[in-house]
Amino acid sequence: MSDATDKVYICRCEEVTKEEIEQAIREGATTLTGIKKRTHAGMGLCQGRTCRKLISGMLAGKKEPAEIIPPTSRPPVRTAKISEFVEEDEV
Amino acid sequence: MTRKADVVVIGGGVIGTAVAYYLSKRGKKVMVTERYDHASGASGSCDQMIILQSKNPGIHLKLALASGEMYQTLARELEYDIEYHNRGGMILIENESELKIMEDFVARQKQIGLQVEILERKDAAKLQRGLAEHLVGSTYSPQDAHVNSIRLNLGFARAATKLGAEILLETEVTGIILKGDQVEGVETTQGPIHAPVVINAAGAWAPQIGRMVGLDIPIKPRRGQIIITEPVPPYVTGDVLSAQYIVAKYNPDLIKNSESRAIQLGVGLALSQTEKGNILIGATREFVGYDVKTTREGIKEILKNATRLVPGLKEINFIRTMGGLRPYTPDGLPLLGPVKGLEGFIMAAGHEGDGIALAPVTGKIIADLVMDGKTFMDVEALNPNRFAPGS
Repeated sequence: MSDATDKVYICRCEEVTKEEIEQAIREGATTLTGIKKRTHAGMGLCQGRTCRKLISGMLAGKKEPAEIIPPTSRPPVRTAKISEFVEEDEV
Repeated sequence: MTRKADVVVIGGGVIGTAVAYYLSKRGKKVMVTERYDHASGASGSCDQMIILQSKNPGIHLKLALASGEMYQTLARELEYDIEYHNRGGMILIENESELKIMEDFVARQKQIGLQVEILERKDAAKLQRGLAEHLVGSTYSPQDAHVNSIRLNLGFARAATKLGAEILLETEVTGIILKGDQVEGVETTQGPIHAPVVINAAGAWAPQIGRMVGLDIPIKPRRGQIIITEPVPPYVTGDVLSAQYIVAKYNPDLIKNSESRAIQLGVGLALSQTEKGNILIGATREFVGYDVKTTREGIKEILKNATRLVPGLKEINFIRTMGGLRPYTPDGLPLLGPVKGLEGFIMAAGHEGDGIALAPVTGKIIADLVMDGKTFMDVEALNPNRFAPGS
């Protein structure tokens, strides 16, 4: 099989593979934020909507589900155009 | 389980891991304790600048110049891609009074050895697109650079580990072990670690560690909010600051009584673009205790300020915001070196917004002080005892 088919992508926005996430866990990441910092998973355009659950699942093997701290959700919850935000109360 | 080391470093951010790396390189057995994870404080919520020309001409700039030089070979040395790029930097000047302040600032920086000049608006516009019409010009230094702060933190941590350092994540220091005036280690949530040297590299949280040994450390958390855009093709050439930021940083009295919310929030432009193409737009400088939340008002004032100076940003989308706590000190300089009257207790904190720029030189200075009792430059001005009554 070629490399392309061997790779399982967990975060499609930032193209982070399952293997990269496993490596981050080996290096001490125990939270979604820890994974994010080491691999960029969850930092792309969708801000973790698709990969968050998959990564939580991978971390669950290491910790009790209750111990997995959810990542900080950082506003805006959807992408926003800078001009819209700046000018919203100037109209 | 009782652990033993030559040195315990409290704090796993860029400063703590830089100190751990340079000490390990010189043969010390180092243990780092980190309450959460690497890059969980200021190191993971800052802009990425290694900007030399924002530094006050004097020891501050001398430190930055030494650090800037170390950065040029750092990625190779750490064998880790820290996304370092030396693309220069500029400070945007909006009016004649700012121009006067910057001319004086630049002249004094040149005397210390920084390559920096003042550009007219038309030359500034050749270096950076999207600039506002009203600008009178900018400064420019080819020596400014930037780095991915999270990768820098992880890079120092990995390199230190390879040299034998042990990093204990999710390990909180709960007390300092003393015998008379001599430090003998730390108590942690994972048990005690015995070591004759303890380094407080806890950044904005350094005062909490200080209180464990009766020290009143004059560091205060100062919140900086930052906005992150979607990845876009190369737009921001190097580091871009505004002269307003320099004025706010070094002349707080000038703006103390202002009624402008932007000025009260300490808003000054800080613009740079990551390797992936995201533009980081900063920042506020606010005293709100340990609150790292971002606020609608703060974000709005940052964006208003940024688009006033660089209207070209308006059509870009932003995808994320973050707040981080910079360790402020009353004189804007870090506290580096041994604490008087507490044998073995060393400070390495208080870099405010300069922790990324100054991490390598801080690591080297602390390693030199621990190993040799002296270092390559005069660091008396950084003496942590300078704020003690009667000093």
